[in-house]
Amino acid sequence: MRRILLAPFMVLFLALAAPGLIGGALAQPAAGARGAISAEELELQRMLQGGRIEGRTTLPDAQSEVLIQPAGKAWRDFHNVTLAWVGGIAVGGMLLILIAFYLGRGKIMVEGGLSGRTIQRFNLLERANHWMVATCFIILGLTGLNLTFGRHLLLPIVGPEAFTAISLYGKILHNFLAFPFTLGIVLMLLLWVKDNIPNGRDIEWFKQGGGLIGKGHPKAGRFNAGQKMVFWITTLGGAAVAVSGYLLIFPFWGEFGVAEMQLAHIVHSIISVLMIAAMLAHIYIGSIGMQGAFDAMGTGQVDLNWAKEHHSLWVEEQQKREAAAPRGAQPAE
Amino acid sequence: MLIKRSDGARAKQRLASAYQGLSAGGMDRRSFLKTAGLAGAGVAALAGIAPRMAEAAGAATGVHDLSRPIQRVKNLCTHCSVGCTVTAEVQNGVWVGQEPTWESPINRGTHCAKGASVRELVHGDRRLKYPMKLVNGQWQRITWDVAMSEIADRMMAIRAASGPDSVYWLGSAKFSNEGAYLFRKFVAFWGTNHVDHQARICHSTTVAGVANTWGYGAQTNSYNDIRNSKTMIIMGGNPAEAHPVSLQHVLSGKEINRANMIVIDPRYTRTAAHATEYVRIRPGTDIPVIWGILWHIFENGWEDKEFIRQRVYGMDEIRAEVAKWNPQEVERVTGVPGAQLRRVAEMFATQKPSTLIWCMGTTQKTVGTANVRAYSVLLLATGNVGAEGTGANIFRGHCNVQGASDFGLDVGTLPAYYGLDETAWRHWSRVWGVSFESMRARFDTPQMMNTPGIPSTRYMDAVLLPKDQVQQRDNLKGMIVFGHGGNTVTRMPEAQRALDALDLLVVADPHPTTFAVLHNRRENTYLLPIATQFECSGSRTSSNRSVQWGEKIVNPIFESRTDYRVMFDLAKALDAAAQRRNMTIRFAEDMFKHYDIQNGEPTPESILREINRGAWGTGYSGISPERLKLHMQHQDKFDLVTLRAKPDAPAEIRGDYYGLPWPCWGTPEQRHPGSHILYNTNLAVKDGGGTFRPRFGLERNGVTLLAEGSYSKDSDIRDGYPEFTVALLKRLGWYDELTAAEKATIAEIGQGLGGEDRVSWMTDLSGGIQRVAIAHGCSPFGNGKARAVAWNLPDPVPVHREPIYTARPDLIAQYPTLPDRRGFRLPHLGQSVQARSPEVFRNFPIILTSGRLVEYEGGGEETRSNKWLAELQQDMFVEINPADAAARNIRDGAWVWVTGPENNSRARVKALVTERVGPGVAFMPFHFAGWFMGEDQRRKYPQGTDPVVLGESVNAITTYGYDPVTFMQETKVTLCQIRAA
Amino acid sequence: MARMKFLCDADRCIECNACVTACKNEHEVPWGINRRRVVTINDGRPGERSISMACMHCTDAPCAAVCPVSCFYTTADAIVLHDKDLCIGCGYCFYACPFGAPQYPRVGNFGGRGKMDKCTYCAGGPQQDNTLVEYTQYGANRIAEGKLPLCAEMCSTKALLAGDGEMIATIYRERVQRRGYGSGAWGWRTAYRTTVNA
Repeated sequence: MRRILLAPFMVLFLALAAPGLIGGALAQPAAGARGAISAEELELQRMLQGGRIEGRTTLPDAQSEVLIQPAGKAWRDFHNVTLAWVGGIAVGGMLLILIAFYLGRGKIMVEGGLSGRTIQRFNLLERANHWMVATCFIILGLTGLNLTFGRHLLLPIVGPEAFTAISLYGKILHNFLAFPFTLGIVLMLLLWVKDNIPNGRDIEWFKQGGGLIGKGHPKAGRFNAGQKMVFWITTLGGAAVAVSGYLLIFPFWGEFGVAEMQLAHIVHSIISVLMIAAMLAHIYIGSIGMQGAFDAMGTGQVDLNWAKEHHSLWVEEQQKREAAAPRGAQPAE
Repeated sequence: MLIKRSDGARAKQRLASAYQGLSAGGMDRRSFLKTAGLAGAGVAALAGIAPRMAEAAGAATGVHDLSRPIQRVKNLCTHCSVGCTVTAEVQNGVWVGQEPTWESPINRGTHCAKGASVRELVHGDRRLKYPMKLVNGQWQRITWDVAMSEIADRMMAIRAASGPDSVYWLGSAKFSNEGAYLFRKFVAFWGTNHVDHQARICHSTTVAGVANTWGYGAQTNSYNDIRNSKTMIIMGGNPAEAHPVSLQHVLSGKEINRANMIVIDPRYTRTAAHATEYVRIRPGTDIPVIWGILWHIFENGWEDKEFIRQRVYGMDEIRAEVAKWNPQEVERVTGVPGAQLRRVAEMFATQKPSTLIWCMGTTQKTVGTANVRAYSVLLLATGNVGAEGTGANIFRGHCNVQGASDFGLDVGTLPAYYGLDETAWRHWSRVWGVSFESMRARFDTPQMMNTPGIPSTRYMDAVLLPKDQVQQRDNLKGMIVFGHGGNTVTRMPEAQRALDALDLLVVADPHPTTFAVLHNRRENTYLLPIATQFECSGSRTSSNRSVQWGEKIVNPIFESRTDYRVMFDLAKALDAAAQRRNMTIRFAEDMFKHYDIQNGEPTPESILREINRGAWGTGYSGISPERLKLHMQHQDKFDLVTLRAKPDAPAEIRGDYYGLPWPCWGTPEQRHPGSHILYNTNLAVKDGGGTFRPRFGLERNGVTLLAEGSYSKDSDIRDGYPEFTVALLKRLGWYDELTAAEKATIAEIGQGLGGEDRVSWMTDLSGGIQRVAIAHGCSPFGNGKARAVAWNLPDPVPVHREPIYTARPDLIAQYPTLPDRRGFRLPHLGQSVQARSPEVFRNFPIILTSGRLVEYEGGGEETRSNKWLAELQQDMFVEINPADAAARNIRDGAWVWVTGPENNSRARVKALVTERVGPGVAFMPFHFAGWFMGEDQRRKYPQGTDPVVLGESVNAITTYGYDPVTFMQETKVTLCQIRAA
Repeated sequence: MARMKFLCDADRCIECNACVTACKNEHEVPWGINRRRVVTINDGRPGERSISMACMHCTDAPCAAVCPVSCFYTTADAIVLHDKDLCIGCGYCFYACPFGAPQYPRVGNFGGRGKMDKCTYCAGGPQQDNTLVEYTQYGANRIAEGKLPLCAEMCSTKALLAGDGEMIATIYRERVQRRGYGSGAWGWRTAYRTTVNA
């Protein structure tokens, strides 16, 4: 009998799976006094109860011992229906929202205008790491989406052989970029976690809709609540996607069986599409959505007015620290 | 609908049109792709960079190039004794495919895992490729000439120093009949009776037990005939794994007749899973179970009284013994509830015809012969012998173990069970065209000519025991091993020491067997690559006595040579060696003078013709190569159930039984059809009928041993009669029905036997006596009673004897094993070993039994080298009951140590926790070798010949214990301990 | 029009594995790939049954439905085949397959999956029939030669039936009626949404 050994956090996402997907094989198929059993009944029973019909084989491959796993049907429904809809709505919906927002609100400008003076927001290490993760994420996202939607969107355009070539190299890229992506996430966590601890101001920030509701900007430290959200989505979501992804790269690791693989895939794909949707918003606001925002990750130097509007507390803190520091320590200008 | 093969053409069209929708004619993958996509040329170019990793197959020797002719060749599976026909597709000398042989009445196209993968044997990935010898502990390639000459020299050196009895000749059930016969003849010419083969360790006790009961040591009916049975007991056998294709007939019988299928076994086997009744017994209690069944039969008067009166001697003595086995005592000893045995007894005795099927669970016991005798008595008591659907369906082991037994690869007989007495030697000397005196001169002493040799189960004792305890000039010094694994014999630690002590070890086999690696020898050890039976032609006898001709499929691969060739070359090499030493003995000329020599080897056809001229006793006389080849050619003309050629068959075979199951009396020209069912009085002898064979005198204690009022159909003698001799013919007034030529031959033979009156149906080379007897509807061997009491055996009436290493020491006093004795030139211990049981049991509380797996066969080197099979069983294991496993903290699939009570033996194997075995019982398969007491011996194989899968041998743990009649080893009941590794 | 199916009569199957090695032999399937296998349920207990299992060539095949590159196709005989030149070895078909049929050769150092391999019903693949390229990619094409899958043809007890679904169901039904018992057609409910009742 196989056990479910997945990390507990994955169970959180269980609800996303079609009902009855999980669950080990039942104790033993029922057998009558003379050992009469019925294939049909057993199959029906397992299908309804979400179990598997399992036995013994002489092969060392534990997967071969599963005779029938009706859960495959549930996974298929997840993959072809649930994931397609969730992914489609999340990614497509986010795109639509952003387009609508752009058309409605337009680019958010720095209210006070650009000051011409800048302040360092991210150092080289932070920026390099951000872009490594970002690059990985974009490729991972595109190649991942390709596995779910490419068959319907790309294949009819490029034809099967080209599509296979794209998908195959996509799969290879996807597998190998998983490693730098994971490293980057870990580094992000180490670099930025201290500034991302949620605090009381975040509630205020949310109340004001990040400045979209009403006039004026809510006060914020180095990261406002929206950015903190992005941070936690990236790190926690990234961790979940990474763990589930590694299980998919190394299939049937240890005691894992097909049910665990299906669960890993469900977790991986659902979190991925949600992350992609979230990151679309992040990309938008960090680029064309807001004047002056891109510089933070571009040159690392942001305009002082932009900084004062969005991260007033951080600017104060930075200036205080600068004042406290001996002048001589500053490099000559 | 694509059900019949003739529908194929249509199917192809349909499939082609199926592809059309996808790929424009089902031809071109690229056009399939184009129709499926809207690709622009530029994007499609991407496809060119996709890596290609799509190949399923490796070497692709199985590809069918339909444009070139494919030759279909029929041979026989070289694994078990069912005798499945293998149809090979050969293209350009390469065996490219295996096809089902629908027309074979035995397997009807089917195979088991082994049969379905035999093509791999001639891929030869792991075959021994050329002769090799050990030089300072390293394998070195040598030429055949060097090998033959060095081996012959060492053999002659041993002969000169220690006498011919110091060389042991281990033959093989993998030989063809012709190979087996030639080997036996070779050993006779060498001048010893030390010749044996696998029958010793599988069914020697069956042969002894059954032959001592009703005449011949063979399966009485056939696999196909089981389709007629209404009740079958399978006891001590697991044919679902050991003889899978036989289950086709067993299950068909079960389905068509709604037959009772009762499996009596300590283990819930794959066979038991299909039983209508499963009886679990304590290992080693067969006789109490049988007597327990008979107790109910006698108690309720279900026995066949008329059958017993007419055809059975001594049933009253059986009654006296059976009376002791009331249900309470049976349950106490065997663990089987009385009510269950009553049910079994009633079915077996009243829902007839009933058959009893057994295998090595019965035979490989210290009481093997007695077991077989008890089983036979059960059949006799219920009148279930000698008719359709009845009988002792003994499933033998290897593909030609029946034939190899028939041709005397046995320490106690010349070919065809003639024995070793002077009459026998004179008969075979005459057949071979040499003088009796010249044969006698080849032996160490004239007495040794008539003294049975040492069984293969005890060769280690013959090497290691002090010289004075081995009744011959010297210990064993050399062993010539053909086609035989070393891990199928118990007490392997002692075998290892014995092999180390030999002066010469020759292993002739397609694969290096355990004999090649078990020891720590450094010199004087030779490996000879032998071709499999797929690489040569010859006949083989399956378990049901049907003889089938296998045609060579491909030439011997690498430097392999056939058995025939190697024996011929060795004979010549011995001549040369003798010449160099100025010894007068010669081999080649006299041995091979009757044979056609083609391409440097004797043809199997010419050897079989010599067999026809000599093997009258088992009726191999009518089985000519021409008749066998016709049968193979017209397999489809034989009936599935009766095995008889149907009326639409060609005239040359019409009315024959498939494979001329012996006895096939007279000369080939007399066209006896063979005997599908032995002792079947419902048929005339000329149609394959018969009677029980009187071999043990005409009367005993005033009671006749000839049948009373029972005779085969159309018999001119309507009562029992003794075997036919010239004297009997004269008394009956039938002497003058012999032709002048026959009389002349008989007269000539009579000179050597002290008068022509003594010439019998067995020694008459003209076949006249058999012809006349059959013309009068009589069995040439007489018409006797079967013996329920065999007074020449240690236990004339089978009695229960506890195993030597028993888990029930409390029963030893009541049911002790036999006292220590001597047999076959050696001491044979019994009670002195059993006396240790109470103490041993305290430390080794689990009963260890062993058996087969479907994927492997015998010692397993051949099958473990077959990658298609090896993948299916990659680890040696021990089956443990969940209760025993839990008590020892053993998980399914974990490594464990199994230890045994002798030689500090131990084996590291995987645990298979299962309810197949009951609490207190463990089971291990016996096909593994290459690990020994925890040591991986892979490096000891010549490079590239190590089997894919290696594992511990169960026989490293198995213990002392031999049947008193045949020295069959005890592999089914010993004690062990198991602990987590 | 034939609709090809497999039916394993578990009351006949003795786990002799002939189907497995016949498949290996016919197609020279490499070590580690098992297009067919025999599973024994209730091992060692009353009710023990062995069932030979491979690709069942499902109606509405789940593998085809989930394949990201759409490499599966169904022949007119309802045999589900795939194009190995298109397969990317993603493993999705294994997750969806109720019968564990898809097999993947291990490639690379991380145990990554190569192109999927599975039972072809001895019908080869999209290459030209009975060519070396078809053999090396997919194995023999017996269907094109007018023969049925070798596993079923060589089944020791004739437990494994292959052929048109109606016909093998009839054979099975007759068998069950004659002998009076039968555990049914394993996998049929899942693969074909039908059952065989005697």
